[in-house]
Amino acid sequence: MSHLFNHNGAPNTGYSQPPSIETATKPSIPKGLVRRQRARWPRLSEPEMVRHYTWLSKRNFGIDTGFYPLGSCTMKHNPRVNEVIAQLPGIADIHPHQPEHHLQGLLSIYYEMQHMLEVCAGMDQVTLQPVAGAQGEFTAVRCIQEYFRLKGDTKRTKVIVPDSAHGTNPASAAMAGFEIVEIPSRVDGRIDLDALRAVADETTAAMMITNPNTLGLFEADISEASKIVHDAGGQMYYDGANFNAILGITSPGLMGFDAVHFNLHKTFSQPHGGGGPGSGPIGVKAHLAEFLPGPLADRRTPTAGEQSTAVDEFWYHWREPVHSIGKVQQWHGNAGAVIRCWAYYRRYGSGLTTMSEHAVLNANYLRYAIHKAAREEGVDHLFVDGAETDVAKHEFTLSMQPAKEQFGISAMDVAKGLLDRGYMAPTVYFPLVVPECMMIEPTETESKDTLDTFAQHFAEVLKVDAETLHAAPTTTPVRRVDEVYAARNLCLRHPFDE
Amino acid sequence: MVDQLPNLGREDEMLKAMGLQDMEDLFSDIPDEVRFKGPLPLRPPQSEEEILSDARRILGANISMGSRTSFLGAGLYRNYIPASVFQLVTRGEFLTAYTPYQPEVSQGMLQAMWEFQSLISELVGLPIANLSLYDGSTAAAEALTCAVRVHSRKASQPNTVYVSSLTSPDKMSVMENYCQGAEITIKTLKHNADGTLNLDSLKTAAGSCGVYLEQPNPLGVLDEGLTKTKEIIGEHTALIVGVQPVSLGMVEAPGHYGADIVVGEGQPLGSPVTAGGPLYGIFACSKPYLRLMPGRIVGRSVDVDGKEAYCLTLSTREQHIRRHRATSNICTNETLIALMGAMHMALLGPDGLHDLAYRNAAACQKAKEVLVETPGVRIVHDAPHFNEFAIEIEGSAEACLAYLDDNGIIGGFDLGRWYPSITNQILITTTDQTTQQDIEALSAQLSMWTSHQGVSA
Repeated sequence: MSHLFNHNGAPNTGYSQPPSIETATKPSIPKGLVRRQRARWPRLSEPEMVRHYTWLSKRNFGIDTGFYPLGSCTMKHNPRVNEVIAQLPGIADIHPHQPEHHLQGLLSIYYEMQHMLEVCAGMDQVTLQPVAGAQGEFTAVRCIQEYFRLKGDTKRTKVIVPDSAHGTNPASAAMAGFEIVEIPSRVDGRIDLDALRAVADETTAAMMITNPNTLGLFEADISEASKIVHDAGGQMYYDGANFNAILGITSPGLMGFDAVHFNLHKTFSQPHGGGGPGSGPIGVKAHLAEFLPGPLADRRTPTAGEQSTAVDEFWYHWREPVHSIGKVQQWHGNAGAVIRCWAYYRRYGSGLTTMSEHAVLNANYLRYAIHKAAREEGVDHLFVDGAETDVAKHEFTLSMQPAKEQFGISAMDVAKGLLDRGYMAPTVYFPLVVPECMMIEPTETESKDTLDTFAQHFAEVLKVDAETLHAAPTTTPVRRVDEVYAARNLCLRHPFDE
Repeated sequence: MVDQLPNLGREDEMLKAMGLQDMEDLFSDIPDEVRFKGPLPLRPPQSEEEILSDARRILGANISMGSRTSFLGAGLYRNYIPASVFQLVTRGEFLTAYTPYQPEVSQGMLQAMWEFQSLISELVGLPIANLSLYDGSTAAAEALTCAVRVHSRKASQPNTVYVSSLTSPDKMSVMENYCQGAEITIKTLKHNADGTLNLDSLKTAAGSCGVYLEQPNPLGVLDEGLTKTKEIIGEHTALIVGVQPVSLGMVEAPGHYGADIVVGEGQPLGSPVTAGGPLYGIFACSKPYLRLMPGRIVGRSVDVDGKEAYCLTLSTREQHIRRHRATSNICTNETLIALMGAMHMALLGPDGLHDLAYRNAAACQKAKEVLVETPGVRIVHDAPHFNEFAIEIEGSAEACLAYLDDNGIIGGFDLGRWYPSITNQILITTTDQTTQQDIEALSAQLSMWTSHQGVSA
């Protein structure tokens, strides 16, 4: 083990600094504010620090390490040129408060990204300010809230979510002050229109839904759902977590939605970074556009004096929406993430449709290959599809319920068995509507060969006896971690001698 | 895009295996009336070389702070980040990992974040820290809602918090958006002419759920009075202090003078300014706030063999479990930027942090010494400062900044953008990257500006 806080040998510091500016009087801190005891931080030289973090990195699994079929998370390859671009001083070393003529490049990329997302989503205006999907959800429901307030429609206090929705949907709506109305899904995992009709009324502000849904199924009744909500006077909100399945094929706009968020860290390859940063822009129809957080990037034909640093024939500028809800992040969102996603978009351009086709092709092929391998290995009785369907979209679910009932092998056991074979495990126990659920999303990144090999390994895991699987994983840096112990014996920081 | 799709050209083989004819069969479940007609009206795909070349050209149209003499800060600070931070953080095992839901293969990031929590905890003087929120503004906003969750039931001013009237309107706007859903009233606290907090005004906050103040304050003033605030507001009102983390190399940790929650913009430790994001929000607190705080937390545990191991803990506060009753909707956070922060802190060590703080303080002191002698320039607050201070100039701040810009200087921040009644004040920001030559150039140009004002007057 290498522990950061056990490094205390370096007498100085891990990076040398030039001398400070000479001053006539020493810079002073008010007496009562002088720090009495320095932080008990470790002391590492640069080589020790480099070796510590390299050692840590080797105990971590990323897409670069291997196949990462984590459903709902769209773990696609992160092109490295995007990282090179994000370090250019024209993005890394600019300040959001610089005047517009210093930021023509940033503004033009913001404009291009807003436009691209508007086209793909069928929306009228996009803002890039929200910095994560959940923040995008919150921002959009806040816009909807202010839209109704301005209309004087104060009775709309409820937001409808299906029980299969991502947890962020109800959490974001509740944070904005809405009451949550959860509706059950049908047994096949799809939206229950009768249940929706029963709750949609003059108190409905919005419905939040993702399509394809969290089982990877396209909601064919989506236009009817939109009609029900709109007839009741409510707004339709599209959770864009599963956007990777439909680019250039259909759009939230065509399905009747009024607002949508994008997860640029899913669909447009901003690296997930072990949990963030992300970027969660939202797009809205015209009637909601003036409620968005500002500023938005806009452009016009330049007037005199506006051309000196322009990137093309336009003058780019910020614009404040008239009824803006204000800000959800202090600056202009995660600009560094937006730049990476711009580079990713440029790679595909109008070929984004092909990207989505391949994401769906890979998901369906993997579902087929897993069933085939399981039949050949005689383990196909141990699981069933999470939902009956001819075709899935970008992801699919399997239920390990038969294995659980027959041999006590849970979805978690299978997940840990896959870790031992060098894979990241699929998402387990979500959505809750599928018992012993495994949710698998290969993305367009994976080759047919990788998918075939994974399917074979999946079947092989199911041939392993229950006792061995309960003990898995055995080849990982640590074996199963005791989460109950962690919660009961809270140790949230280095204990020093306490 | 050919370099990104390994199965281009193998579509038929794969479809045939599945018993399908063509790609269209995969989308047979999508009704015709919602289908796109024709190709996406977007530009054609580009190669890596073309993208990089376009990026250099377009981003080259931005004027980077490093290409000029810059005194712009106002919440973001241009510090030197050691090269090893950038080299290590782009290791694919960190960069391309998801949230560590499978701890057995995520020990590297889990341990790194547990160490981050430990570093932040020591820095701010509080026992608990999460592994980051989005930025300083959302951390401050989440601290207010957290304080209300903890204190509202017993407060004589339930659902009410107090915030310094100097708080930047952008941050205030974030706070309002986060607070309105819980029907929290935000009231403001007054400041004295020297920029320090008016302690009489603070008395009105006693019995409320929380008070948010910054140290140094938004105008760079170090306010000794903050050490007395906890005494005034009392045990059942949360003292929330927003910090510039580098300052804590010299300035007392707020946890040591009564702060219950410390938040801040982590950016100066580990991250370039990057047009305002991605950054990372610091959130630390004392024990009574633990179970109602937002964000992910890593705990140290053991595996089945009794071996030391790390995992996410106290997840029952979070949206994926608690859904609409969660303490926050946050899911994706700023882990990778926090990791950069941890690496920077690890390299600095306690003495390096002190030296870095001293370099920031010395640059600020030098700028004050030079500008106080500059004709037509007045330093607004007779107080100790860190990083930045407000000056008053002849004529309008907006025109003065445009003049400085014409002469190659990004002159600072027009305080009229925060406080509309003020037209002639500029917030001058210095960091460890500010040189004596920069300060002299600013002084010379401000002096020229003043002389032009004299001519026109």
